[in-house]
Amino acid sequence: MHETSIVNSIFRTLEQEFEVEKLNNMKAIHLKVGILSNIEPRLLYNAYEAFHMTNPIYQKVKLEIEMTELKIKCEICEHITNVKNYRFICDNCKKPSKNVIQGEEMLIHKVEFDD
Amino acid sequence: MVDKSTKAARGTVQCENTNINLLKANDFVADIIKKEMAKTGTLLINVTSSAGSGKTTLMQKTAEKLKDKIKIAVMVGDLETERDADRIRETGIQALQIVTGGICHLEAQMIHQVLDQFDLENIDLLFIENVGNLVCPSSFDLGEDYRVTLMATTEGDDKPKKYPKMFLTSDMMLVSKADLLPYVPFSVEAVTKDAQEVNHELEVIQISSLSDEGVDEWCDWLLEKIKQKKG
Repeated sequence: MHETSIVNSIFRTLEQEFEVEKLNNMKAIHLKVGILSNIEPRLLYNAYEAFHMTNPIYQKVKLEIEMTELKIKCEICEHITNVKNYRFICDNCKKPSKNVIQGEEMLIHKVEFDD
Repeated sequence: MVDKSTKAARGTVQCENTNINLLKANDFVADIIKKEMAKTGTLLINVTSSAGSGKTTLMQKTAEKLKDKIKIAVMVGDLETERDADRIRETGIQALQIVTGGICHLEAQMIHQVLDQFDLENIDLLFIENVGNLVCPSSFDLGEDYRVTLMATTEGDDKPKKYPKMFLTSDMMLVSKADLLPYVPFSVEAVTKDAQEVNHELEVIQISSLSDEGVDEWCDWLLEKIKQKKG
């Protein structure tokens, strides 16, 4: 729903993190987003394309999106459960848990630069 | 003998593993808001829901019930118009409209920008009435102490699993428009079970701003949280 503002914040974040010269050689951006992040990859790719129409300087930079599954780690038995159907319950001891260890993230995981 | 170059090979790719949180800027500002609120002991509540589930009516009702006991103020986010702030001001409390101009959620920066419009020293309870939307606002920490989500009986009891992030990140679910329960196919038990499968710590109150059902329980909850915050 807010894919364009996410694309803006990707570049705003990178501009804070890296020098301009380095950014000029940027080749690819890898995102890692959890299924709970409410990011829809197809829409984000579209917003990314649209961004380049008004900001051509990053036109050659590729975007890769990796979706991560939802996992919780039980506070009691430390068992890790893949959450299915949004039932936040430990597979092993059947106790509820909201200790999400994967699936909520919205990360710029890796950035590639040309030499 | 050819000199061996010590330069990095051309055409290779350097990688930087960054793991930068895309919401870093938002979370940074949210922390600043938290610190501001801690200074004055003001309780900050982020109220979320779909559009039309009764957030503004609940703000009016809460203001009427509590304004003689505590100092309340509201900031309310909408895409356009001043309508909600006008309605809340009619109850005699301070209300400020944040017009997002099309943005589907409030961000910490927007809250921080208007914070100096409030005399926080003299405010016990500050509500943020978020944009009506169960999707995007769930990702944005506004520095709130508690997140309260309204779930109207007219919306259908199958929503928590459809919008899991919102219910996972909420502390309280208010089943609103409870006065309509006799007329709508809505099960409070089913919605509670669904929501607590996502978030077992979620508290639930059945409420109607029109019939007053649950309003005292809600106000008591608020007063208790204010007391805790003041320490």
